[in-house]
Amino acid sequence: MNHSAGMSTANLAPAEARTPQARVAGAMRGFAQEIGALSAFRLESCIHCGICADACHFYIATEDPQYTPIWKVEPFKQAYKRESSPFAPLFRLFGFKHEVTADKLAEWQHLLFDSCNMCGRCSLICPMGIDVAALIEQSRHAMFEAGLAPKELYHKASHQQNTGQPEASAEPYRDQLLAIGSRFSVEIPLDKPQAEIMLCVPRTDIEHYPGAVAALARVVKHLGVSATFRSDGLVAENYGYYAGGKEWQRDISLRLIEQAIACGAKTLLVPECGHAYTALRWEAADLYGKPLPFDVRHVTEFLADELHAGRLKLKSAITGKTTFHDPCQLVRKGGVNDAPRALMRAMGIELDELANHGGFSFCCGGGGGVLDIERAAPLRYRAMENKLREIDDTGAATFLTTCSDCRRTFDDAKVHFSWDKKPHSLLELVADNLSPTGT
Amino acid sequence: MDLLGFARGPALKVALAVFCLGVVWRIVGFVLLRIRRDLNKPRASALRYLGSGLLAVGTRSWPHREFIARTGPGEALGYSYHIGLFVMVLLFTPHIVFIGGLLGFTWPGLPSSFITVVSVLTLTLFLAVLFRRVTHPVIRMLSNFDDYFSWFVTMLVIVTGLAATAHLGARYETLLGLHILSFDLLLVWFPFGKLMHAFYLVPSRAINGALLARKGAVS
Amino acid sequence: MTHGRVELLGEVLLRHGISRRSFIKYCTAAASTLALPPGMGAVMAEQLRQAPRPSVVYLSFQECTGCLESLTRSFSPTIESLIFNTISLDYDDTLMAAAGEAAEAARTKAMKDSFGKYVLVVDGSVPTGAGGGYCTAGGRSSVDILREAAKGAAAIVCVGTCSAFGGIPLADPNPTDAWPVGAIVGDKPIINVSGCPPIPEVITGTLLQFVTTGKLPDLDQHRRPKAFFGNTIHDRCYRRPFYDQGKFAKSFDDEGARNGWCLFELGCKGPTTYNACATIKWNGGTSFPIESGHTCIGCAEPGFWDKGSVYSALSTAAWGKSGESRPLEVLELGGAAATVGAVIGAGSAGMSRLRQHRAEHPSNNEPKDG
Repeated sequence: MNHSAGMSTANLAPAEARTPQARVAGAMRGFAQEIGALSAFRLESCIHCGICADACHFYIATEDPQYTPIWKVEPFKQAYKRESSPFAPLFRLFGFKHEVTADKLAEWQHLLFDSCNMCGRCSLICPMGIDVAALIEQSRHAMFEAGLAPKELYHKASHQQNTGQPEASAEPYRDQLLAIGSRFSVEIPLDKPQAEIMLCVPRTDIEHYPGAVAALARVVKHLGVSATFRSDGLVAENYGYYAGGKEWQRDISLRLIEQAIACGAKTLLVPECGHAYTALRWEAADLYGKPLPFDVRHVTEFLADELHAGRLKLKSAITGKTTFHDPCQLVRKGGVNDAPRALMRAMGIELDELANHGGFSFCCGGGGGVLDIERAAPLRYRAMENKLREIDDTGAATFLTTCSDCRRTFDDAKVHFSWDKKPHSLLELVADNLSPTGT
Repeated sequence: MDLLGFARGPALKVALAVFCLGVVWRIVGFVLLRIRRDLNKPRASALRYLGSGLLAVGTRSWPHREFIARTGPGEALGYSYHIGLFVMVLLFTPHIVFIGGLLGFTWPGLPSSFITVVSVLTLTLFLAVLFRRVTHPVIRMLSNFDDYFSWFVTMLVIVTGLAATAHLGARYETLLGLHILSFDLLLVWFPFGKLMHAFYLVPSRAINGALLARKGAVS
Repeated sequence: MTHGRVELLGEVLLRHGISRRSFIKYCTAAASTLALPPGMGAVMAEQLRQAPRPSVVYLSFQECTGCLESLTRSFSPTIESLIFNTISLDYDDTLMAAAGEAAEAARTKAMKDSFGKYVLVVDGSVPTGAGGGYCTAGGRSSVDILREAAKGAAAIVCVGTCSAFGGIPLADPNPTDAWPVGAIVGDKPIINVSGCPPIPEVITGTLLQFVTTGKLPDLDQHRRPKAFFGNTIHDRCYRRPFYDQGKFAKSFDDEGARNGWCLFELGCKGPTTYNACATIKWNGGTSFPIESGHTCIGCAEPGFWDKGSVYSALSTAAWGKSGESRPLEVLELGGAAATVGAVIGAGSAGMSRLRQHRAEHPSNNEPKDG
């Protein structure tokens, strides 16, 4: 695997040429912004037991100790001990911990970005109860400030912060959205001045799974709820989140927040995207500086509520043996535990669960931006083998998920491994099995 | 003043003082760092998620079903010597009397000869755990001075205690003096190394359990 | 009294009605106490009978006379006390009939007649304060008397913890500036038979061994005969099974105490005290403190009086003036230390936050991007 050692092999955005001192200063600034009583307590509590490695699919697939989750945040720990810990003056005085070097930071780029999906499985196994995934997120911020975010993530974050789209497209997403509406003969509510629910869409769906976009629109129409897309706040994903750029993450979230406020929405509906849910439901308010004046709900949460309220009725879906991939950000980290299964139960689907399912599901392998990082692909494929095997072991013919990036990751694996399965969207299945209301 | 008198006299006094000072310094030193308020709307009421946090203190004691195959044996080894230590330290009458003299209350102990057996078992487990630390690639990579010195300091107390019981190597009062002196060393080292996890364990599990429960996340 | 030639011990014994046969019986018993091989009893008897009557000079300094009482207190007269009291003892200011200058004359004569050969037995500590004035006999300080007597001694046997280690007088605050014999005399072989008081058979057994062999017995680091001081009370205590079973008396008249359970929790110093109390016992093997229900106070050990309260267990902390550390003291110490720690901790947190702020907002002369 591509274990970089030193600045020359770091995966950097070319525009970010800096001196080593500047990089270190940037990293220290980033660490300083993230240090607090909570992160300090987490870093203090680590007893070097190594148990977190047993939860991480990168370690399990390779048995390479460098992929031990807490090892990925070692520079953060080192900086904490030297700069902010209770005995920091002693550490500095006696040289017990040296200052993090630019080389070490560059070495760690691979560990923090290429080999971590931010899936949070490690946080479930730590006997000391440390939220390791949270530390990873904070470390990524320091890497970003050091100019060491992988170029793919950096560029997309920069572009999205500037324009609202992670990448330029021949046609703006807004137009593509309307085109999907025409193609699938479904109404796309766009730029309504007032709506109860504000919708957004994963750009992965716009580009690769237009059927899911149509499904969202169809379901909304079917339920007759007051909802709208907003041109100036369309994209659900947040590349600032992946890249560790907190300010950009905030700016990107702000687009959606401002549009939701502008149309007076009571609910911001997150489509089939995991990280979008994390960024909006569990991080946006902090970046915004005050509680959000609306609820953030995942589309499955919303639909499950409608189901329980009797406003949504579903027909039985014929899927054969079926299994479900739980997106990490949604289920394990997000708390949307039962909604997807409530929907599937309502469609008469009895799942043949994966050996590791629900909150313990293995990540698809593409999360945390890893799917976008080219040089991470070989490692990602190795990590995915176990997951694909698990899916095969259920004997399921159909497998569902409710995150577009997970779909994309599995589709990519299908090509790479010549795998015989493909993921299907739960939302699309729901949209295909709507029962007329009232009957 | 002989070694025993020194060990349980001035040395112990200084060690206890350093222990109390160091532990409080360390905890206050990071608890007073920035606390960021979480402005995102919780999924559960404060009472519920704080309660879940307390529950997590217990549930995190053993790995979830999905992890047991990979992590069970190692975690069991870790717990086993802790259990041995607790039995030795808290259920051996001379130790109970020692702690009782400091705190003002005592509790019943186990037969002393049983404690000897447990001590020998714990000593063996301690050696096993060091072996694991130096041979397991993950743990070896993570290990630093703190890991080895904390092990050593604890091991020294066990070894000198057993030596005293077995009258091995020197006169009893010398061995007892060394045993208490090694405990003094442990007290002095305690605030500066990973032994602090004794204080961190419960609040860490509770806080992180509560924060996860706040999101309705799995914990 | 001699009659111009050296009188043999056997002759003296016969004069006192001790037949050769009963003397052999006694020596056999004594030999077995000393763990000497069988057959040594008869050898000892023969050697002793042919030996010149041993001369013993017994000096008592700053003492309570308990050691002598122990020695002479017997339920039935024993041969050893007979030998000791009547045959060998050329001088003992407590026991002898003579007093004043006559007694002193007897002492100087014995010392002159047996110069280099007599055994000097000393009990009581030697006070050096006030120019030696705290303990005098015939106008001379104990320091001077000791130094003079030591000159002609074959060996010095310190009987009791006071002469061996300074004992009670030496305990804090040591107002008379008392010292053990070994601190005053440096150039003679010394055997310490410590205890407060020592067991009579231990005293006479030690003397007998020296008299028989002319050599010092095996001594421990405190110069005590290993034959009697080689094991701790704890290792020979009949209540040891209760210690091993974890059965302890919690107070002096509770159920545990009445059942004869281990007295560790009540402060027994058995584990660190070396003596023969648990095996030879007292009053002809009747009992010893633990058997009678009281903790061992460690009286055969140096500095036992200053080593902590009699009633606080061996495994308790002991830094207070009284030797104990009570919870309140511990609380005060811990509280003070914790307060200082909190202040330092707050300081370090403040410093960390300052550094944090500086790192977040670098000034003009600190490295920036590019």
